[in-house]
Amino acid sequence: MAIRLRNFRNLSLLLRQHPYRTHSSSTSSVNPTEVSHFEKLASSWWDPHGSSSLLHQMNPLRHDFISLCLDSQPDPPPARERKFLDVGCGGGIFAESAARLKETERVLAVDPSSGVIAVAKEHAKRDPLLSKPGRLEYQNKSIEDLAIPRSPDEQFDIVTLFEVIEHIDQPASFLKSCFPFVRPGGWLIISTIARTWTSWLTTKVVAEEVVRMVPRGTHDWDKYINEQELRSFFRAQEGWGRDGGLKSQGCIYVPGLGWKMVKESERWGNYFIGVRKDLDR
Amino acid sequence: MVFGNAPRALRPYICSSCAKSLKLRSRKFATAASPDIYDVACVGGGPAGLSLLTALRSSKATSHLRLALIESQDLDRVRKWNLPPDQYSNRASSLTPSSQAFLSQIGAWPHIDTSRVQPYHHMRVWDGLSSTARITFDSPTPEPAIAHMIENQNLTRALLARLDSLEPISLLDKTSVREIHLGPPPSPLTPEPTYLNLSSYPHVTLSSNQTIAARLLIGADGPNSAVRTFAGIETRGYDYNRDGVVATLKLPSSFAHHPSSPRGVTAYQRFLPSGPIALLALPGPYASLVWTTTPSQSALLKTLSPEDFTAMVNAAFRLSAVDLNYMFTLPSNQLSEFQWRDSVHPSTASEAKGEIPHLISSVQQGSIASFPLRLRHASSYTTSRIALIGDAAHTIHPLAGQGLNMGLSDSKALAEAIEYAVCHGADIGDEMGCLDRYKGEVWWGNQRLLGAVDKLHWLYSVGSGPVVGVRKWGLRAVDVMGDLGVKGWLMRQAGGL
Repeated sequence: MAIRLRNFRNLSLLLRQHPYRTHSSSTSSVNPTEVSHFEKLASSWWDPHGSSSLLHQMNPLRHDFISLCLDSQPDPPPARERKFLDVGCGGGIFAESAARLKETERVLAVDPSSGVIAVAKEHAKRDPLLSKPGRLEYQNKSIEDLAIPRSPDEQFDIVTLFEVIEHIDQPASFLKSCFPFVRPGGWLIISTIARTWTSWLTTKVVAEEVVRMVPRGTHDWDKYINEQELRSFFRAQEGWGRDGGLKSQGCIYVPGLGWKMVKESERWGNYFIGVRKDLDR
Repeated sequence: MVFGNAPRALRPYICSSCAKSLKLRSRKFATAASPDIYDVACVGGGPAGLSLLTALRSSKATSHLRLALIESQDLDRVRKWNLPPDQYSNRASSLTPSSQAFLSQIGAWPHIDTSRVQPYHHMRVWDGLSSTARITFDSPTPEPAIAHMIENQNLTRALLARLDSLEPISLLDKTSVREIHLGPPPSPLTPEPTYLNLSSYPHVTLSSNQTIAARLLIGADGPNSAVRTFAGIETRGYDYNRDGVVATLKLPSSFAHHPSSPRGVTAYQRFLPSGPIALLALPGPYASLVWTTTPSQSALLKTLSPEDFTAMVNAAFRLSAVDLNYMFTLPSNQLSEFQWRDSVHPSTASEAKGEIPHLISSVQQGSIASFPLRLRHASSYTTSRIALIGDAAHTIHPLAGQGLNMGLSDSKALAEAIEYAVCHGADIGDEMGCLDRYKGEVWWGNQRLLGAVDKLHWLYSVGSGPVVGVRKWGLRAVDVMGDLGVKGWLMRQAGGL
């Protein structure tokens, strides 16, 4: 019962509209404590056995989920010239991989932490493909600092927020500031973790305390948002998610096997959710 | 293609003072010596390397990759390989159905000259010391066959023909590897935002003085792999102190295996104390011999006249181990020795039942050869930007005919791992993003197969004592338990299913 009560409390947190800003930047959803925490992680971002190991292992599933969303469209998109905006890109695990895809024209990746952006830029120099002009661009910015696109040409086919919203103080206003960057018919793709006793046990107790897979303080369980909460948030948004344009899928980390997509697990732990901007928007 | 800023990337190679003096000429110099970057550079153009490159080129997901093959042989010799229908190469292999399926999948099978390929449907395996213990493997239906016998050159020619039919790759043949090193570390003297850090990329300097860099360098360069040495990957194993003697044999024309024969075609293998001897059918009245024996016996076999050699092969399938050992002590005249010994213990009844092969009538001139047998297994198949396939990764005893098939299955698994990595945007040279998947797929399976074949070798090289009794019981038991799945398991191993 306790969990249910908490769900409601956080639902109101998600829907809270009034700004609560503590950031140096003028208008930002970013929490400075979170930023400094990830600054400290920057150096180990690309260490395959370091604290970001789980993110490295999850990365293929992100692409699988994007494919699942695109394939579900009644009007499948052409497999070329895709533009990505990766918000909260960290050291660039997803941004690099998106930029390597054949069908990608451009990836813009932003993160408010200058430390991780420096790591991301340095790491991209290891791949000649990524140094093609315009293919992959990093900017040390939060989404609110980016110029709002004025035409569909400046918008993106896919805007991604991977393991980001659980670190944000006002998820609702943050998500809304991402909306203008998605082109009509494009997708906003999110991955995060549900706020359940299982996720508390796995992320706060097991991952941070018992096996110390990730540094203490990486997660703030109270900020976790459940799939049902995001789903009802997107349902309430005008111009989003029509004609089956709202998809979700859970995934579970199996030691020794890695991440696996598991049906219905979106209610329990890590999950992806994708919402499509209506074509006529 | 992706390397528009080559001169800048080259800067780390040049010391700062030289850079100044080279300033005027630097552009020209850089263009001449900058490494050409390939996605996949494969050292070694045997079946494993060629099938990997063909698999990558023929898959839609990976066909755009920049590929290079480095091969010391002249590939035109492979393309032009041709033998008359009454001659067969002594290097032939038993191709399993899964290998065949892989070759079809990558479009190479139609390029194979199938008139030189022989399917077989039965196997007769028996113990040389306890002749009553024998095991029979039968394919339940004529199709699919247990395996196909194919000359290695027929296979490599087909793979190359298929590769030639696809979007061209860089074929650097008649070229050997002079040296492999890592790219230079990023230098603080190169502050340009566009410089490349190729310090993790293997750079291969070739005998042509050209240097190429590879996102992923493949060692398909055989047991003494230069790529494996560069990667510092250890191998474990030992020499068997045995030779594999190979030859192309001819049966009487009247006994030619008929492709439409309802009985199908049979492969024979007898375990002698020195090692197994196997007779594997080739088309028409021809057959391929693989005889594992001691180096001294192998040396004697190679000195014999064709008639005496033929007599020794016949003796090895028909006479007792004691008789055979005696014949190895004779310097010559094995033919007459065999004729009278066989007349004392006629084997015609066994032959009529198909339990042993027909009498061999001759050996193809110049086809007798031998090579030392080894067991080797690399402790890993991968490190950062390196993957080993085929004999560079493992050398196996030929008794199960698995060497070639293991190489093809490596290629298949690696091509699949690369395809998965490309479709998910991973760096194909990255261990976690790509190579771990390949290693996880094949290493343990190969280790199990190497171990099983090795144990079989030692089990059957014991000449007397309780082990002979145990294996006699074991072989009979396996035959009797055929319907319980044990034989099916063994057959699946042989067929690589």
